[in-house]
Amino acid sequence: MAALKAQIVEQLNLQEVKPEEIGDDQPLFKDGLGLDSIDALEIIVLLQQQYGIRIANPEQGPEIFYSVRTIAAFITAHQTNK
Amino acid sequence: MNIYIQGTGCVSPQETAQGGTFPENVLPWEGARLKANEPDYKQWIDVKLIRRMSRVIKMGVAAAQLSLQEAGIQKPDAIITGTAYGCLDDTGVFLSKMINQQEEMLTPTAFIQSTHNTVAGQIALMLGCHGYNNTFVHKGFSFESALLDALMILKEGRSKSILTGAMDELTNHSFNILSRFDLYKKEPVTPASLLHSQTAGTVAGEGAACFVLGTEKGANTRAKLTGVTTLYKPAGKAEIAADIAAFLAAHNCSEDEVSLLINGRNGDTSGDEWYEHMEDNALAGKPVACFKHLCGEYPTAASFGMWLGAKAIAEQQVAAAAMYRGTTPTKIKKVLIYNHYKQTHHSLILLTAC
Repeated sequence: MAALKAQIVEQLNLQEVKPEEIGDDQPLFKDGLGLDSIDALEIIVLLQQQYGIRIANPEQGPEIFYSVRTIAAFITAHQTNK
Repeated sequence: MNIYIQGTGCVSPQETAQGGTFPENVLPWEGARLKANEPDYKQWIDVKLIRRMSRVIKMGVAAAQLSLQEAGIQKPDAIITGTAYGCLDDTGVFLSKMINQQEEMLTPTAFIQSTHNTVAGQIALMLGCHGYNNTFVHKGFSFESALLDALMILKEGRSKSILTGAMDELTNHSFNILSRFDLYKKEPVTPASLLHSQTAGTVAGEGAACFVLGTEKGANTRAKLTGVTTLYKPAGKAEIAADIAAFLAAHNCSEDEVSLLINGRNGDTSGDEWYEHMEDNALAGKPVACFKHLCGEYPTAASFGMWLGAKAIAEQQVAAAAMYRGTTPTKIKKVLIYNHYKQTHHSLILLTAC
């Protein structure tokens, strides 16, 4: 998850945030880290670029992108299924 | 109808973003490129927004906020900007990714932020301004077109206050490309030597200047925007002289009434001949101030010239670093700004003290 946090910080250019400051279960959007819909698109691109994963069902987005842990679980599950 | 300059703001290679009076000292520069002296943008922009903004957006937003603060206005009726290059850096990022990634998996931020009207849009989003929002992209007339649009809207009575301005950034990539056209000096120059260099080429610059224009005089209003006109590819210097006379006459201003001439002299010998002709003929004997040794040359540099003119009227003095010819006038009533970009896009702006 540490690598994923570093990738998120870099991709989203979170200048004021250090990867280790992001909690594993901290909500990424709204009141949590404060990300928005453009960031969601950036994370979708990150998953494609870094892990070769495409999100087939956009309605799963809020669930997958809830926290770093949920994204990591999605990546793990997807890579296991490959 | 009078159009007042209610507030001004400027981010430039000089320390202009601190607001207040014109900076006393010229910041030194070397080589053929002047970079903007950028303030701490966090005083105006939320850190969550800053991370997506390229330099030109930040410069434009900062200049806009400075002008609004000076005008004492939180939300103008309209926002009109001019830019020749737009968000060049993000355009470069987006196009580079398109090539490197074979048009696959492109990130949205660089695309969203790469359009020319991003700055005006970003200012509107930050202010919650849902009024008229327009951006003019007309090379060396981008700023003047924004001014003309603002003037017409104000005179039609459709708005009472309009935030208008111009911004352009220089990137490493654009500087390298523009250098290939031999636009810039090859020999070393300094702020003091540029305007007397007697060689071809000038120095590249960048910056943002914004103005709150309104139909009513505000608490900090010191100047009126009396007139603006553009002249594309004049046939010769005699035509410009005639145009200047006609422009002044159209605004009931005699040549004697012009207290100060600000021109866009940039150290390029062939381009400076236009200014010399004006200084020696149409407006002979007038005190002359220059500004491109302070901000560099770029398509919307006239906005820095207008900012300097507005400052001169507000402070009733001209910074020593800006004076080029003659002595500083004791009373600055009318300021004529004459600028051209690459000898094709000529413009005149007349400011009057109020």
